[in-house]
Amino acid sequence: MYYLGIDIGSLSCDAVLIDEGKNVKASSVVPTGARNRESIALATEIVMSRAGITGRDVKATVSTGYGRDRVEEKIASVTEITCHAKGMQALRAGAEVLIDIGGQDSKCIHMSDKTAVVNFAMNDKCAAGTGRFLEAMARALQVDIGEMGGLDKGARGGVTISSMCTVFAESEVVSLIAEGTGVNEIVKGLNRSIAARTVSLVKRVIPDYQGRPVAMSGGVAKNDGVVRAIEEALGCSVFVPDMPDTVGAFGAALFALERSTQ
Amino acid sequence: MLINYFDDLEKGIVSSINDQGGKASPRKLYSLEIARLGKRLYSGSNKVAWCGVTAPFDLLHAMGLTSCFVEFIGAMLASTGMAGSIIEESDHAGYSSDACSYHRAIMGAAMKDLMPAPEILVGTTVPCSGGLAVIENLARHFDKPLFILHIPQGDSDSDVAYLASQMKDLTGFVTEHTGIALDRGRLKAVIEKTNEARGIVNEIFDLAKHCPSPANSKDLNNFLITMALFLGSDESVSLARAYREEFAQRLSENRSGVHDEKVRLLWIQNRIQFKNPLVDTLEKEYRAVIVSDELNSITWGPIDPDDPFEGLARRAISIPFNGVTQRRIDHLKQLARNYKIQGAINPCNWGCRQGTGTRGLVEAGLREVGVPVLNLEVDCVDERKFTEGQFRTRIEAFMEMIQTRPNPWQQH
Repeated sequence: MYYLGIDIGSLSCDAVLIDEGKNVKASSVVPTGARNRESIALATEIVMSRAGITGRDVKATVSTGYGRDRVEEKIASVTEITCHAKGMQALRAGAEVLIDIGGQDSKCIHMSDKTAVVNFAMNDKCAAGTGRFLEAMARALQVDIGEMGGLDKGARGGVTISSMCTVFAESEVVSLIAEGTGVNEIVKGLNRSIAARTVSLVKRVIPDYQGRPVAMSGGVAKNDGVVRAIEEALGCSVFVPDMPDTVGAFGAALFALERSTQ
Repeated sequence: MLINYFDDLEKGIVSSINDQGGKASPRKLYSLEIARLGKRLYSGSNKVAWCGVTAPFDLLHAMGLTSCFVEFIGAMLASTGMAGSIIEESDHAGYSSDACSYHRAIMGAAMKDLMPAPEILVGTTVPCSGGLAVIENLARHFDKPLFILHIPQGDSDSDVAYLASQMKDLTGFVTEHTGIALDRGRLKAVIEKTNEARGIVNEIFDLAKHCPSPANSKDLNNFLITMALFLGSDESVSLARAYREEFAQRLSENRSGVHDEKVRLLWIQNRIQFKNPLVDTLEKEYRAVIVSDELNSITWGPIDPDDPFEGLARRAISIPFNGVTQRRIDHLKQLARNYKIQGAINPCNWGCRQGTGTRGLVEAGLREVGVPVLNLEVDCVDERKFTEGQFRTRIEAFMEMIQTRPNPWQQH
C-alpha cells in the first residue's frame, strides 16, 4: 500500500507518495492557482501516474499547508510547521534548526529527537523575504525567478536593499537599475536582505543556534544565492535536500503512514 | 446609535432569561450588566466620567458618577464589528496607523459623536502612556476638566500615601466640577460591597483552578477588568455569586467547562475582542481550555471601609502591568503554577509597545517553568487585519507542539 502527503501552499501544491518502507515513489509540484481543488487533483493524479498506481492503492492521505482543509480524502490535516519538521528529520537525522521559506511564509523551527517541534516562529505581519517577495523582485529585474539563484555570481556585495516592505523594496530595485547597478549586485543585495530577516527569526527561536545542524526547506531553498547568503549570515553550512519544496508533503506522507498503522 | 445597541442588547438578554423561566448563565448575567452599563453611559441622564484603566471606579460610583475606562468602548466597537471605519477617523486626530487600535477606535468614536460627553475625565499613568494620551485628547475634544492620577511604580508606604493623597484630591475635583460631595457613609457601604465581591471573585478563581476546570474559555473572558467597573454595586456581588454557584455546581456534577479537557492554556494581556474562530478551534479540535487570563487575578487585599484611600491606592499600584517587567513575569509564572498551565498565548496586540516590547522576556520567563509561549501578531480590535488562515496555522502548530511535550505539571 501507499501513503500520500499533500501540501497546498500559497504558490504551489505538492504531493509525495511513499511506500510502507518510507521510500518516496513519486512526487509532483504544480502551481496552486486560484482553484486549489483542481491543483490538488492534478498533483495527486501526477504522482499516481508516475508511480503507476490508482487511488485504491493509497491507504491514507494527510494534508498540510494553508489549503489543508480543502483535501477531501484526508485522514487528518497537520500544519506545515509540524510536517516540515517531520519530513526534514527523516531526511537529515540530527538536524536541529529548520528554516522553511515558502510562498508567503518564512519559518524557523527548533527540532529535537524527542519532540519534533520544540519551538517555532513565523514571519510577522507581512510576507517580506518570502517566495512572493522574490517573485516581485524578479519582475522588477525582468529576470526569470528560476534563474535568480545564480545571478549573484561575481557580485562584490556593495548593495543593500533596506526596505522591509515588498512594494518599497521593488521601488528600491527599480532605482538601482536606473542608476546602472549590475543585476548581480542587486540580486546579492536582495539575497542578503532575505538572509538578515531569516537570521533574526532563527535567533528569536534558538538564541544559541551556533553549532547546531541547520537545514532548509521550502521553494526558496532552491535558490542557491539565498542559501549562500543565509550560510554567510549564520556562519555555517545549511543542508538542503534534493527537493526542498516537497519536504512538507513528505512529512505529511509520513504522518499518513504512521497514523493509518497505529 | 450605541444607545440603541445597548438597549436592544439588554432587551434581548432579558427576554432570553424570561424564556428560560428566569434562569441565566453567569456569562449571560455578565453580558446583561455590560448592556446596562452601556445604557447608563449613553442615556444622557447620568453624569459620566471617562477614565483610565486603573481609576477607582467604586469611589466614583460612591459619588454618583457612571465611570468607565475608555478602552471599553474600543472593545465594544470591535465586538459589534464597527471598529474598522471608526478607527480610520482617528487618523484625522494625528494618530499613526501603527498606534494601538483600542485608542484609535476611542478617538474615532469621539470624532464621530459616538461617545457621550463626560462631566469629567480621570486619566491614569498606568497601564500605558497611550491610554493617558487618549484621555488627554478626549479632554480637549470635549473641553472637559481632566484629573490625572500619577500611579507610582513601587508600593512603598510613601508611594501608597502619595497615590492615596491624589485619590482624596480626586474627590474634591469631582465635587468642584459636578457639585456632588463625598458622602462618607455611602463610600463605606460601597467599599464593603467591593470587598464582598473581591472575596467571591477569589473563590471563583480558586474553583477555576480545578483539573479539569469548571470554566470554559469564554466564561471568564474580559471578566475581572470589566468587573472593576461594577465594583461597589449590588450587581457586582450578585454577578460574582452567580459565577461561584455555577462553577461549584459544575464541579459537584463533575462537569468540566470543556468536555474531556486535555490542555490548559493561559491568555496573556487582553483577548481578541472581535468575533473569531480561534477559541472554538482550541476547544473543539484540541480539547484545550483557556483556564486563566493574565488580568484575571485579585492582586490586592481587602480595603478598609472606614479609611479606604490607602487600600484604593494599593489596589491601583498592584496591577501586574505596573512597574518592572519582572514583576509581571513573576505574576505569570504564579498563574502557570496555580492553574497547571501547559501553554500560553500572547496576542502582542499591534501598537501596544508594552505588550510587544516585553514579549521576549515574558516568553523566556514562562519557559523557565516549562510553559511554551505562542506570540501572535494580532490587532485585538481591528478585524480588518485578521487573516484567519495565518492565525489558525500558528494556533494549530502550537497545539501540535504541546501535544508532543510532557505536561510540566505531571512530572513533579
